[in-house]
Amino acid sequence: MKRSIDRILTTHVGSLPRPNDLVELYRDNTPDDTLQPRLRSAIADVVRRQAASGIDVVNDGEFGKAMRRAVDFGAWWSYVYDRLAGFELREEQAKKGRAAWTFGSKERKEFAEFYAAEASAGQGGAGSGPSAAQSGTSTARLYGLTCTAPVKYTGQAAIQHDVQNLTAALGGSRVEETFVTAVSPATLQILPNEYYKSREDYTWALAEAIREEYKAIVDAGFILQIDDPALVDIYDWWFSLNGDLAGYRKWAEFQVEAVNHALQGIPEDRVRFHICWGSWHGPHNGDVPLKDVVDLLLKVKAQGYSVEAGNVRHEHEWKVWKDTKLPEGKLLMPGVVSHATNVLEHPELVADRIVRFAHVVGRENVVASTDCGLGGRIHPQIAWAKLTALAEGAKLASSELWR
Amino acid sequence: MRRSRDQIITTHVGSLSRPAELLALNNARASGAADAAAYATGLATAVADVVNKQREVGIDIPNDGEFGKPMSAAYDYGAWWNYAFERLDGFAAPDSIPESEHKKSTVAQLSLTSFARRRDWQRFSEFYQDPTSGLVGSAPARRARRPVCIGPIRYKGQAQTQADIANLKKAMTAADVEEGFMTSVAPASFARGEDLHYKSEEEFVAATAEAMREEYRAIIDAGLVLQIDDPSLPDNWDMIDPEPPLEEFKKFSRMRIDALNHALRGLPEDRIRYHICWGSWHGPHTTDIPLANIVDLVLAVRAQAYSVEAGNVRHEHEWRVWQDTKLPNGKILIPGVVSHATNVVEHPRLVADRIMRFAQVVGRENVIASTDCGLGGRIHTQIAWAKLAALAEGAKLATHELWQ
Repeated sequence: MKRSIDRILTTHVGSLPRPNDLVELYRDNTPDDTLQPRLRSAIADVVRRQAASGIDVVNDGEFGKAMRRAVDFGAWWSYVYDRLAGFELREEQAKKGRAAWTFGSKERKEFAEFYAAEASAGQGGAGSGPSAAQSGTSTARLYGLTCTAPVKYTGQAAIQHDVQNLTAALGGSRVEETFVTAVSPATLQILPNEYYKSREDYTWALAEAIREEYKAIVDAGFILQIDDPALVDIYDWWFSLNGDLAGYRKWAEFQVEAVNHALQGIPEDRVRFHICWGSWHGPHNGDVPLKDVVDLLLKVKAQGYSVEAGNVRHEHEWKVWKDTKLPEGKLLMPGVVSHATNVLEHPELVADRIVRFAHVVGRENVVASTDCGLGGRIHPQIAWAKLTALAEGAKLASSELWR
Repeated sequence: MRRSRDQIITTHVGSLSRPAELLALNNARASGAADAAAYATGLATAVADVVNKQREVGIDIPNDGEFGKPMSAAYDYGAWWNYAFERLDGFAAPDSIPESEHKKSTVAQLSLTSFARRRDWQRFSEFYQDPTSGLVGSAPARRARRPVCIGPIRYKGQAQTQADIANLKKAMTAADVEEGFMTSVAPASFARGEDLHYKSEEEFVAATAEAMREEYRAIIDAGLVLQIDDPSLPDNWDMIDPEPPLEEFKKFSRMRIDALNHALRGLPEDRIRYHICWGSWHGPHTTDIPLANIVDLVLAVRAQAYSVEAGNVRHEHEWRVWQDTKLPNGKILIPGVVSHATNVVEHPRLVADRIMRFAQVVGRENVIASTDCGLGGRIHTQIAWAKLAALAEGAKLATHELWQ
């Protein structure tokens, strides 16, 4: 995996704004012979645009992961249910949405009026008043899925399409490196299970299944990014009402074992691991502090760790790395621009944030990134401007750090 | 004016979320259906509550939440200036006068364009014009024009201002609060509409200043700290299309600052704080003028304290401006350390870090921790109050470190 040898490299977390016509093709469940050619050209465009915006480590914008409307916070995980067998949709369960699987969130309780206003207003953008907290996804129905049969990966063709589209798109683009995202076992095991005897067995089976996707990505020569917001955001959904940090840590420790199982035999230096505390535009008062989970995070067999650090709830946590040493050879990919505000980060602020991390963990160990995927979470025009600000800030930081 | 003698004290920029009952009263009043006594009682009760709530949450220098400045809906970005329309003679509702054409500025004669033609709004037009962007007050909703000046400007808001003052003072006594502030619009932030009466912009602004002086004086005479709200100083920059040469802009602004200072003549500087921000809408703000370019103008205002946006991602880095520009002796800086620009609630540790940075540059006794802008009408009420609580907690953490 490339590191910042003579300047600060840039990347982002994955999701980028889909062109409207691609959203429509997905929405209408267009057959592959029409969808695929457009998907391929859209990916070629999005790779070119990342390179032109100054992003060094690029991806396919997650365009191969179906997004069926312009504002969509969930494609990063919902895509996988087109690629997994063993689940059944329960309509009753689906109607409850997220409530189907939370054990009670302290934040949702404390900020009930806010979340109710947000739900009734529908979707919106960051920090934009009553409709801003958008927590729905085009696939909210998927909360109604239950595991009722052996879990099996059936996405071989889909991941090959992803890999081929991206390979084709790279021809002619000057980029440093390329990554592809895939969902974590911890995220998958949130949905209820009726087939396996225990949640543990269920999680192992999911890890075995999703491992196939991980392998396909690495075999194709791409960096694998595992998306695991669940590792930190489950605290608020499952453990916060009782403030059960110990229970949460036990849960998280097992999830790390599961993801490491899924990563067996995959070279660590081809893997980066992403956490964030959920991308919805809410207060995030109940987020578990990074310091309470950073030791478990570092047990994940990945070389790069992508961690939200560019919003007002987590920005101060750069100091965690003063107390917790980033192990030799590892890379930190802090978020230095965020989808949580429509205001565009000033490049000087971006540079300040990067320099802070560089001083703590070493400039060669920092790759500047976003907090979370920008696509579906903020207006496309702002999303692209944020990537440009990220690249400009990285340039400013490089000139300070290598002068 | 209180300062941070042995702890970092806290305040905010002014607007707080109006309770539903008050919004209903405001609407009844606007439609002429209100019972004046019911409105007066409802307003006084709401002010008493909001002063109490500020004290409980840990705000040291509260205000009336700007409740006397009528807001008609839970989301409303304009009450801070348009309240003055009712309190000034000489203006007419814009729809009674034919609209002028979009003004393109020339160097010789800088002029402000319409809100929806701001440069940031043009650069990010897809976002600003997108009705599904979720942007409250998006461009299509910003068509409303400002009141047009059609005759001599005179202040006529004595009764309303006295009522506001009485409500706040009574609430402060009840809540055992020693110092409170009241906002009032700066002449140049109000006089941004068309003028069909005066011969020049200079005369127009000067007449507004002379009229508003009455309100400024009334607030100070009542023993309250006067806060002059003047986002126009920085945000006019974005309203001049194309971008003007800096020196021309400074001349344009200097005339407006001079008018304000004239309106403040003879009033005690240590009872006045001056607020600037770059406009409170939830947009990219890429065409905001850097603070470094106007800080000399800010400091030219005859006020003891300066309230400056510094808690959002476009302006956070500007704490460094105070490394190069010395805050004059005796002055106070009131930086924004929590912001309405994100629903995410600032972590108290981040708030403390921000306060510490300012304290280390200008001295702890010269910092009062505040918000970027008024929170009311700009963010959900539950989040607004959580942000004020985070502000107070952060100030405590910073105090602990600064006075250890």
